[in-house]
Amino acid sequence: MSLPQLKTEKVEIEQEQPPTGFRVIWRELVKDKLALFSLILLLALVIFIYTYSFFLDQEEITKINLLNIFSPPNAENWLGTDYGGRDVFGQLIIGARNSLTIGILITLSTSLIGITLGIIAGYFGGWVDYVIMRFVDFILVLPTLMIVIVFVSLVPNYNVFHFIFIMSLFYWTGKARLIRSKTLAERELDYVAASKTLGTPDWKIILFQVLPNLSSIIIVNMTLNLAGNIGIETGLSYLGFGLPESVPSLGTLISYSTNPDVMQNKWWVWLPAALLILVLMLCINFVGQALKRAADARQRLG
Amino acid sequence: MSQKPLLQINHLKTSFRIGDEYYAAVDDVSLTVNENEVVAIVGESGCGKSALALSIMKLHQPENTKIEGEIIFNGTNLVPLTIEEMNKFRGKEIGMVFQDPMTALNPLMRVGQQIEEGMKNHLKLSKEEMKKRAIDLLDKVGIPNPERTYYRYPHELSGGMRQRVVIAIAIACEPKLLIADEPTTALDVTIQAQILDLLKDMQKEMQTGIILITHDLGVVAEMADKVAVMYAGEIVEFADVETLFTNPLHPYTRSLFNSLPSAEHVQDRLHVIQGMVPSLKNLPRKGCRFADRIPWVDRSAHEENPEMREVEKGHWVRCTCWQHFDFPDEAEVKSYAIT
Repeated sequence: MSLPQLKTEKVEIEQEQPPTGFRVIWRELVKDKLALFSLILLLALVIFIYTYSFFLDQEEITKINLLNIFSPPNAENWLGTDYGGRDVFGQLIIGARNSLTIGILITLSTSLIGITLGIIAGYFGGWVDYVIMRFVDFILVLPTLMIVIVFVSLVPNYNVFHFIFIMSLFYWTGKARLIRSKTLAERELDYVAASKTLGTPDWKIILFQVLPNLSSIIIVNMTLNLAGNIGIETGLSYLGFGLPESVPSLGTLISYSTNPDVMQNKWWVWLPAALLILVLMLCINFVGQALKRAADARQRLG
Repeated sequence: MSQKPLLQINHLKTSFRIGDEYYAAVDDVSLTVNENEVVAIVGESGCGKSALALSIMKLHQPENTKIEGEIIFNGTNLVPLTIEEMNKFRGKEIGMVFQDPMTALNPLMRVGQQIEEGMKNHLKLSKEEMKKRAIDLLDKVGIPNPERTYYRYPHELSGGMRQRVVIAIAIACEPKLLIADEPTTALDVTIQAQILDLLKDMQKEMQTGIILITHDLGVVAEMADKVAVMYAGEIVEFADVETLFTNPLHPYTRSLFNSLPSAEHVQDRLHVIQGMVPSLKNLPRKGCRFADRIPWVDRSAHEENPEMREVEKGHWVRCTCWQHFDFPDEAEVKSYAIT
């Protein structure tokens, strides 16, 4: 009895390469419709705000026109005017641009400081860690809000960059602590030791081994921070310690609602700004969640 | 077999700081590894095996560790070197295989990149050459479909495959010495055998010296040329593998062998060594460190300052107590039982 001859034809197996980088993010977004929608809406809003504000004249919009105060939405002023007769729609666009720019710049500068110091403290440990962390503790015990308010009232010709500077000075500490704690856990793993046994210098290990492994936490933290920083800016402006009124932001628009009459009867002044903040923050958070899943292979949907 | 010494450790003492004092985890260890030779270091948990391996690689936290003595690798003393100078040896001259393949690989880097890391640091190769070499290495360590595995992430591989990758990384620059720190502990038995075979093949092919750290005497019998038995930070016996297995002398070594289950005669209970390994803080610094665990041997049998002595050619034993040592019978053990 002979065994049936097996087919030994060689089959070319297609070498499918695992997806990388942007393709992973893209697959994640396609799977998560809410995040995809948020991203599209966010991009549309950001592009619209930045291009449209380019054509608007801030001088013109912030000029007071007493003959046209609190006019409800009409063909001339799409979202009506405020107590100075200024166009709310124009202020909304420029305000949103200012708030976004400030939020992004504060996020970038705090991340740069926080990640650098946190990763150095966590990786090297010892006295380096001790010095950096005591410095962080020192900043944390300072009454941030009060210092910001004092700073705002002391600095002459207070502008956007002063605001970003003073915010960056205080808001990097949380990030430094977070990154340090993650680095402490990460540096004990054998792959860091393995990398050392291959003769890789410390700075390379920090940049190319430890940092990528922290990327998911950094991305999530940065997106949430972006939303948070926009919130802080609008909050301070609302309280009157943010930007001067000549520089409109989403916060200054909402702060008009401290007047009960505006709050109840002149909704067009503050409601669009409030809604825009809500939409922006939700979009940023949904996109952040999707990015977080894309960065961590274990959580991926796609 | 060539007898050129590759690594010579002279009176190495590695101490860790606990509180304000330094305690030696590795004490007065002298060891020679020749080219193309496998030296196994055996001992129970906490006896300083891994601390010894890390000392050779200088992977300790510098501010809490003190390393004294000499580690001479190919004529260079590694102990006083700075990290930058040490990096020239790491990977290129001395490779290391880690215990747990689950954590020894960076989860976010492709296998190929991780193999190329050492080459990037030490060999001047173009990108294509490195890739070709990495794929060759993957093939060499017995990974099927190496072209594809090159692009994989560690989580896509099984434990045995990962350990093969770890070995491929360690041998990427063809180091002259390989330190394998319990390379098979995290793997199951069938994979263990494969990995040991692989290490052996690699060693034969590349003529590397290997320091094999393990607590598995089976692995030692399988792999090693020479064996150093460590107890409480000291080497208590050093011999080639046949001598040690046929004629163990030091009471600790004999107790270890006595604790192994035997296939020849059925035992109800296995022999147990009395007591526990003393912790780093409570190590007896004077006299024979094993004395407390063999209380039936008279104190006078131990030396005041036990030293390694060559009992027969190539067979070194610490302390003189082995001459007076014998296993007591059951009843006697009970009467000495440490409470």
